[in-house]
Amino acid sequence: MIFENYTRSSYDEMFNEDGTIREHWKALADNLDNLGIQQLNAKQKEIDWRLEDNGVTYNVYDDPNGTSRPWHLDPIPLILESSDWERIEAGMRQRAALLNLLFKDIYGEQKVLKQNIVPSEVIFGHSGFLREAHGLYQHLNHPLMIVAADLARGPDGKMWVIHDRVQSPSGLGYAIENRLTMNSAVQELYSNISIRRLYAFYEDLKSMLTKLGANTKSEPLNVLLTPGPHNETYFEHAYLSSFLGLTLVQGQDLLAKGGAIWLKSLKGLRRVDAILRRLDESYCDPLELRSDSKLGVSGLVQAVRKQGITMANPLGCGVLENLGLHPFMPELAHFFLNEELILPQIASWWCGQSKECEYVLENIPTLIIKAIDRSGNESGTYVGKRLSLDEQEQLRVKIVANPYMFVGQEEVQFATAPSLVEGEIKPRHVVIRSFSIIKDEEYEVMPGALVRVGSNDDSLIVSGQRGGSSKDLWILGESGPIAPNNAYKPKATFENSLENIPSLRAENLFWLGRYLMRCIMSARMIRITLKSLANATRYDSQGNLRAQEILCDTLSHLSMTYPGFLGEGDEKVTDPVKEIWSVIAQGDRIGSLSQALNMLSNANTSTKNLLPLEAWRIFERLMREWNDYAKDTLPSQRTMIAGLDSLLVHLMAYKALIEDSLFLEQGLILYEIGGGLERSQLLITKSRAMLTAVYEPFTEYEILETLLGSSESLNAYRAHYRASIDLPHVSEFMLLDSQFPKSLISEIARLLELLPKLPKFKSDIYLSRYEEPLFEAFSFLRLSRIDSLCALAPDSVVRENMDMLLASISDKLIVASDELSKTYFAHYDE
Amino acid sequence: MLYHIFHSTQFSYQQWVSFSHNLIRLKPRDTPFQTVIDFSLSIEPDAAELESYTDYFGNHLHHVLIREPHHQLKVSAQTCIAMDIQAIQQNKLIADYAKEVSYSQVIQALKASTPDVIDAKQFCMPSQFLKTTDPLLRDYVSHSFLAERSVYESVQEFMGRIYNDFQFVSGFSDVNTPVEIVFEARKGVCQDFAHIAISALRSLGLAARYVSGYIETLPPAGEVKLFGADASHAWFSVFIPGFGWFDFDPTNNVIPYDQHIVLGYGRDYADIAPMQGVVLGSGRSDVSVTVDVTREEIQSQSQTQS
Repeated sequence: MIFENYTRSSYDEMFNEDGTIREHWKALADNLDNLGIQQLNAKQKEIDWRLEDNGVTYNVYDDPNGTSRPWHLDPIPLILESSDWERIEAGMRQRAALLNLLFKDIYGEQKVLKQNIVPSEVIFGHSGFLREAHGLYQHLNHPLMIVAADLARGPDGKMWVIHDRVQSPSGLGYAIENRLTMNSAVQELYSNISIRRLYAFYEDLKSMLTKLGANTKSEPLNVLLTPGPHNETYFEHAYLSSFLGLTLVQGQDLLAKGGAIWLKSLKGLRRVDAILRRLDESYCDPLELRSDSKLGVSGLVQAVRKQGITMANPLGCGVLENLGLHPFMPELAHFFLNEELILPQIASWWCGQSKECEYVLENIPTLIIKAIDRSGNESGTYVGKRLSLDEQEQLRVKIVANPYMFVGQEEVQFATAPSLVEGEIKPRHVVIRSFSIIKDEEYEVMPGALVRVGSNDDSLIVSGQRGGSSKDLWILGESGPIAPNNAYKPKATFENSLENIPSLRAENLFWLGRYLMRCIMSARMIRITLKSLANATRYDSQGNLRAQEILCDTLSHLSMTYPGFLGEGDEKVTDPVKEIWSVIAQGDRIGSLSQALNMLSNANTSTKNLLPLEAWRIFERLMREWNDYAKDTLPSQRTMIAGLDSLLVHLMAYKALIEDSLFLEQGLILYEIGGGLERSQLLITKSRAMLTAVYEPFTEYEILETLLGSSESLNAYRAHYRASIDLPHVSEFMLLDSQFPKSLISEIARLLELLPKLPKFKSDIYLSRYEEPLFEAFSFLRLSRIDSLCALAPDSVVRENMDMLLASISDKLIVASDELSKTYFAHYDE
Repeated sequence: MLYHIFHSTQFSYQQWVSFSHNLIRLKPRDTPFQTVIDFSLSIEPDAAELESYTDYFGNHLHHVLIREPHHQLKVSAQTCIAMDIQAIQQNKLIADYAKEVSYSQVIQALKASTPDVIDAKQFCMPSQFLKTTDPLLRDYVSHSFLAERSVYESVQEFMGRIYNDFQFVSGFSDVNTPVEIVFEARKGVCQDFAHIAISALRSLGLAARYVSGYIETLPPAGEVKLFGADASHAWFSVFIPGFGWFDFDPTNNVIPYDQHIVLGYGRDYADIAPMQGVVLGSGRSDVSVTVDVTREEIQSQSQTQS
């Protein structure tokens, strides 16, 4: 018997009081027995592998082991019988309808306040009450479109409501992924069990979203608004957007004008019809809501006010995630629906009433005290019995200062369910996150849920942020329609054509290209400079020392870590190796390699869902090694060079993976444009620092060899010229030779080939504003002759023609980059 | 009697700004004592979009989108407002009755659930700039309040204490300076004094709101008043159930009569900032403000500061 050693301490989902198995679990118990504990553990491994392979993660804040954690799924599902479920379903439907009416009232007439059904402090004192949203929803029957609740079974065997979740409830994506993983990994457990399928519900969710945006055009543009890749449930945002056919966007992707919301895409601005919101409402609009938010869209509230955009869920609904409402829910059910509340709640005392407050203050050790509002000034959960006398007193002071901010709740022992924990089956507390959506004027409840499993046996708190696992919920009954093939596969949405790439993604790819090239070229230049310093004493000649000075100066120019080696007087560098180490490793120094890598890391994070898994892995390893390496105070030159070697190997592998796996239409073109612009600029910087001044022949030779070497062009040069290294030839080769792919003219020619492939502003006759400067730059180079570039005015030590040409090309490149940004990323002039 | 108010704000940015959303609260609201006769708003560069509406508290708002690249944004409002002296005088009589109400009676009456009390309750609670009350400030204010003493007179005395104990120093604080700092230093400007008073009164369980507006200032005898010599002003208002809201100006230690013009009110400055904007791009910006308040015929003389 697989359940032999199972000992329960409270109500258990699977076992009766007398230890017998509940009727509706018997088939699963047989299936589990047939499988045996070893096989079950093997299944757990397979599940883990499948989830990891699909990239299912949950980001954990402040986790020293990195932010991204694999998602856990228990192979043993939670089973509910159909009669039990019918009651829950009716209760969820009622609660959704009730919360919707309450929402409309709070942001409308406020009858519940005027008639004293809900004390005004419960609403006014909650940070989710947004005065800006007042009056915005009176024209809608069901502004609240998605309603979720956390449920747990109380000691009476009934399912209780713990929390309402309406702000931007997570779990819809994890719930499907759990089901799909179960389907493929533990088929054996389904034997002789008929469970409700999820397909029809998700189809209804899709059509709900399509209808939301159906006001303006036949093919609406609906988006999922995410706070971005650092959010704990970003995986789910990407996952849901892909199979619901929504464009995944961040606040910066959108722009408000004309009482509507627009998506900045490469093709231009496109009107957005509806937003599935996963960004907390207070962050949605820095103009009217939290002014410190960098995640929102300035003017969004105004667009809602003008009814130019629909949002699921609407702004302001956070006030419903309010434990202060719980004591008044039975009364609200009478008031709005003339019904009894179906789903019970934990007995709660709201401290805003004097009798209740006294009760709570007198009974702190036996209660759980919670703030009514998760994001307000007071937040947190206090388990009375775990508080020291001092802590109790501190809590008492807090309650007395703002009594309406707190509720006391009875401590309830919730039900457990069997879960596979470290190879054994043990009872664990489970919380069900149930979802309902609006469908044809009624709420429809998902016949399944995300079940979260407590992380240890007496855990009262079940939260994704604190680890723990999850389960699939099986509701017994007619299974319902089968999903057609590919129903859950990510669709090749229109988003995958170049025109429809959101501008933010395009911009991130552009910067990915720029920073990657900057890191590679800087690392090479630093490496070669270090090597030259290491050989300093080898020849013991003056010319050699001069060459090293010039290399060091070039490094300061290239990294723009001024004054650096150009410093004079007090700022003069006395220890070149120490200065170079600072340029390598000092993360807070602008221009350092460490800083460029951090910028690259940001671009990597923002484009992560486009890159292949191997690329993330290489990048993770690279950053880990780099952080280890860079924290040294001053390693030996040999260690410095070895670290750079290793960095370059990783960077080159990362680069090859990106270039191999991304298509031009997915945005590789922007990466290439970014990369090309960066290479051109850095080549210009190097050339100005190394080619324009006049040196002694020996020094010049050293410099030219280094320039070729640092550009990985030495062999190509030798093959091409078969001649000794001299300034006119090297300059010609690096700047003007269109046969050589790394020359400046080739780089710019390639940019001119790439740019016309960008959407919008195409003209058969005229050049676009960003093509013009590049075309000029190309012409300057094409019309140049090397003898004139190398010519020296009498008594001059600088090749002025060359320097001026390179300076003006650099300016043109800057203009081209700015114009590109304006046209494709900012869209302010549209 | 009429007031002509000119209020101009000029922002200078280091960089070009090509797209900015702005919220502007420069149109005064109507109250029982004042009626806006004429209002005009001019914006340079031209606004691409201009929408007006009223906020939750009933204040007027303009939402402005500017899409012309600019280094400077200038927003000027011109208001002509009529003061109803008769209504103001009547209110003074009502205040005489309100003076009969004691502090403990107010606390009791705030437990009622009549619509005006329910509305007033949100002004008893913490707000964005006034999240908690410094215990020292609570001690400070409580010296003026006794359970059976007139709440109106207590507030009036408290206003006088702020006026005497605090120094008017401009430049010491800005909009983000916490009340605790101002309280400790005992110096600030009108906005700080209003915040101090509101935070203190709320800690006693009273409903207090922030009033933003203008005050008529007069030049010293014999001198000609210069245009633009005024500034916007702020004071506070306390709710006495059954009688309504009563204004107090701690900066000048006066009960506003006919020289205070209300722009709008909220829980604190955050609800009623005259200009809020979101500008993309980095770089600092400088602001300069010009305010002028002119009465159609000057009748009384007093020295005030704002």
